[in-house]
Amino acid sequence: MSHPNFESQLDAYLDGELAAVDARELEAHVAQCRECMEFRDRRLALRVAIKARVPTFQASDVLRQRVRAPMRKPSMVGSRPRPWRSLAIAASLAVVALGTWQLAARRSAGEALAGDVFTSHVRSLMPGGGHLTDVLSSDQHTVKPWFNGKLDYSPPVYDFAGRGYPLLGGRLDYVGGRSVAALVYGRRQHVINVVLWPSARGGDLGPTTQTRQGYHLLHWNTPAYAYWVVSDLGLTELREFSRLLQQADSAAP
Amino acid sequence: MAAKSSSEGERLDSHELERFETVVLPHLDAAYTLARYLTRNDHDAEDVVQDAYLRALKYFGGFRGEDSSARAWVLAIVRNTAYTWRRRQHSDTLGTEFNEELHSDAVADEHPEATLLKRDAGESLTRALDQLPIEFREVIVLRELEGLSYKEISDVAGVPVGTVMSRLSRARQRLQEALCAAEEC
Repeated sequence: MSHPNFESQLDAYLDGELAAVDARELEAHVAQCRECMEFRDRRLALRVAIKARVPTFQASDVLRQRVRAPMRKPSMVGSRPRPWRSLAIAASLAVVALGTWQLAARRSAGEALAGDVFTSHVRSLMPGGGHLTDVLSSDQHTVKPWFNGKLDYSPPVYDFAGRGYPLLGGRLDYVGGRSVAALVYGRRQHVINVVLWPSARGGDLGPTTQTRQGYHLLHWNTPAYAYWVVSDLGLTELREFSRLLQQADSAAP
Repeated sequence: MAAKSSSEGERLDSHELERFETVVLPHLDAAYTLARYLTRNDHDAEDVVQDAYLRALKYFGGFRGEDSSARAWVLAIVRNTAYTWRRRQHSDTLGTEFNEELHSDAVADEHPEATLLKRDAGESLTRALDQLPIEFREVIVLRELEGLSYKEISDVAGVPVGTVMSRLSRARQRLQEALCAAEEC
């Protein structure tokens, strides 16, 4: 594959917009071209940065009303104003607030952990205050040793770039009252956070799945670690990614 | 059928109004985000969105697409409204058409390295986006923030898919350079 076309081809590839035949040709080329590999990694880092730092905006209530105003006009004739509507909204908000409070009160330890992991993910993507990676590298042999001396364990780090889930980096985070390793993987424009810490609970069949505000959380235990995986990626792909992790773990010495 | 007047929007029946509300209104935040990046200020973005939604309402009777294509449909209207707004604002530069080769590398009117170094990286990235030519800015917003496919972007921007692809790539290159300048990479 010739380099002049390469940049836009690779962008299209990372966007999932390249035809399968071209994608295979490109993958084969990238696998043996250091320059292209670095280019790909820089693009992934940029994608993460855009996702984390370039804000989307919310239409103000005033704009919302201005947009709605002409919609109401034709039907206004003969229709009464509906003050109950705002009352109903207020009432439903109150119910939501009450519900949240009751939920919090009933929260089990597991739910609290899931909450911590979820918060960690959202915080990592937050513009300004949040940060996604302390160590930004797609090289597992750079990311893994980075944790030396920062944690009382050395987390297993893999790179699934060949399977479309490249490693982007790692960071220290705080979950369940302890410092933990968070590993960051990418999938197209999606960011996947993998949070793990040593656990003596033994392996289980997992993963269990839950969804919070559009993010999926998958959780399982290996004989050595408690794993949490969180992303806005579709559940099918996130399960596939989790299987890759589990396979890599069981193959590890 | 021949006599579909331009004021048919005012005669949308209640069923169509309801459909407009469930199919088009939910994209208001997306519409505002696009308008905000195209106009680069809140006030004008609100005007553009209001105007665009008025047009959308007017032409909704003629919208025959699937509900799932309403997002690209309304973003196209927002985009065209923003361009009209922009032409009105900068009528003096109307003669200068965007030229892919000419403008894509020549627009750096200030040195990003010098101005961005002191800034927070997040701010610098948004700033770099704001400084891109509008044709580059829109493909980034439509792809990275709105998640549109290349085909949808090509429909919204009215350019071939190949052009979408090359604009995206060049726009990203520029953002990458800004990011690198800010983070000393």
